Amino acid sequence: MAQARLDRKEQITGWVFIAPALVLLGLFMIYPIVWSLWMSFQVGKGMNLSFGGFANILRLTKDAVFLRALGNTFTFFIFQVPIMIVLALLFAVALNDSTLKFRGFFRTAIFLPCATSLIAYSTVFKSMFAIDGVVNQTLMELHLISAPISWLGDPFWAKVLIIMAITWRWTGYNMIFYLAALQNIDRSIYEAARIDGVPAWARFRYLTIPMLKPVILFTTVISTIGTLQLFDEVYNFSAGTGGPSDSTLTLSLYIYNLTFKFMPSFGYSATVSWVIVVLVGILSFLQFMVARDRRTS
Amino acid sequence: MSSLKLTDVHKTYGKLEVIKGVNLEIQSKEFVVFVGPSGCGKSTLLRMIAGLEHITSGDLEIGGVRMNDVDPSKRGIAMVFQSYALYPHMTVRENMGFALRFAGVAKDQIAKQVNEAARILALEPLLDRLPKQLSGGQRQRVAIGRAIVRNPEVFLFDEPLSNLDAELRVHMRIEIARLHKELQTTIIYVTHDQVEAMTLADTIVVLRDGIIEQVGKPLDLYDNPANLFVAGFIGSPKMNFMAGVVTASGHGAVTVELTNQGKAQVILPLSGPAPAVGAEVTVGVRPEHFQPAGSGGSEITVGIDVAEHLGSTSYIYANTKSGEQIIIEREESRHELGTDTITVAIDPARTFLFSAKGERLR
Repeated sequence: MAQARLDRKEQITGWVFIAPALVLLGLFMIYPIVWSLWMSFQVGKGMNLSFGGFANILRLTKDAVFLRALGNTFTFFIFQVPIMIVLALLFAVALNDSTLKFRGFFRTAIFLPCATSLIAYSTVFKSMFAIDGVVNQTLMELHLISAPISWLGDPFWAKVLIIMAITWRWTGYNMIFYLAALQNIDRSIYEAARIDGVPAWARFRYLTIPMLKPVILFTTVISTIGTLQLFDEVYNFSAGTGGPSDSTLTLSLYIYNLTFKFMPSFGYSATVSWVIVVLVGILSFLQFMVARDRRTS
Repeated sequence: MSSLKLTDVHKTYGKLEVIKGVNLEIQSKEFVVFVGPSGCGKSTLLRMIAGLEHITSGDLEIGGVRMNDVDPSKRGIAMVFQSYALYPHMTVRENMGFALRFAGVAKDQIAKQVNEAARILALEPLLDRLPKQLSGGQRQRVAIGRAIVRNPEVFLFDEPLSNLDAELRVHMRIEIARLHKELQTTIIYVTHDQVEAMTLADTIVVLRDGIIEQVGKPLDLYDNPANLFVAGFIGSPKMNFMAGVVTASGHGAVTVELTNQGKAQVILPLSGPAPAVGAEVTVGVRPEHFQPAGSGGSEITVGIDVAEHLGSTSYIYANTKSGEQIIIEREESRHELGTDTITVAIDPARTFLFSAKGERLR
């Protein structure tokens, strides 16, 4: 009896302690999520909303701009995430080598971009990649190109620029995860492999990568989510348009435009938001399936 | 099966010299144990033989071939690490066969060699398990198996039993001894545990501060330590050291007065040059070599601090006022139970004399 009363008291105390956090979480997380799901079934402009059932989902399939944004987002995801993950892995392995000089400097230099101000770096990138910017000038002087590239004006190069920018910004961030994981690997595993005559490439392929698999999966999922939500860079580089001619328009930027730029269409933008949620869910699930340990251990 | 030769081998890290000129010859099929306190350079020396550390100067020969600059994988060695260093994502079978894949060995041959090693080490039921599903002793056996499949000329063991509990350590010690008998290969084994060294080795190499203090058969080191350090390091419990002053010297014997043991006089035979009268010396007696009182020789009486009775053996820990601790081992003896002091005799024939510098005086 006394024990039951004590248990109950402990339960109540516990709930009281987490109540403030729960209330805030409910108010600012759960309520908006549920509300946005409800919103996604509303049609109409501005505040003039009415229940439209699956009308918004139907509209998605016919909306050329949405399909464009979806395509662009996928392009960024398919090219940028693998490039960045591989780069981060290579940097991490290189910078984990204890014989390398100035390791601390390189680690800091590669990590620094993700700590810099978004506006500052976007501005610098825009000036560097302008028609008469330093990048074009350098490429011209090296005779790699004969005419300056319109990085911001050409649909193809605009995409390339976005990919370069987010890769530059987030590679160091992912590298830190790999470095931390690499430092947790017992050094004698590599020494044993060296004595056993396992070549360097095989040590990387058959030892490092499998041992880093959980971290690789984690960074891939995190990067996927980040890329599907890509907004900042495209907004800054295209002055909010997603241009040239929607070639860098992403789902997030489209949601922003639907809500705040055009005649507000809250219901429809909520539907597009939920498209991102579903995509993140599907892609993360696929990644977990691919990385799953096939051994029945 | 290869012999191994180290000639004036040095290792420095920047200005810090950790191996200070090691000369050593190891015969083929010999079981050699490097033993010494932590930081003595024994693991570094082993890693230099393995090729994991660069040899700053001097020569390393394996099977008569200079190996200083040869890749670790081409030295004909295999190494077992303290941490086992198993590949965590591979099964026991894959762990043991992994190296062979890159040595151009055919698949069925790999399977054959892995099965053979598994048979020797009784690992057959575990071949499809991952390292995390194995106990410490099993992991260590896999690590040894991984070394065996490569059929090396020389096995290197770096403190292989340090991560195991006491019981398993004894068990694995016997396994390794059996393995050496069965495989008939050269083994170099590093440990800080002198019991492992005594039980396993054909030859023990005692190291301290990057130099070899003594090389010899286990019982030779026990019976005839070259200096104070080896005398203190080999044998368990440790040899007792008592401070003394030479009071008479000459004609094949010295008389030493034990400063902290009630000025007891010990007369010790000496064949070599005798120290001068008044010289400070150290007298060493192993706990097991104290004789019961009244059996001849000079006697000392000490106060008992603690007595440990292990059944067949008792260890009596005694202190003198000066802080000199004496450990006395008694077989089948219970009469000290409940007494405060004990008197023992020192047998001159089983007493060691060391100079103030720690050198053995014989």
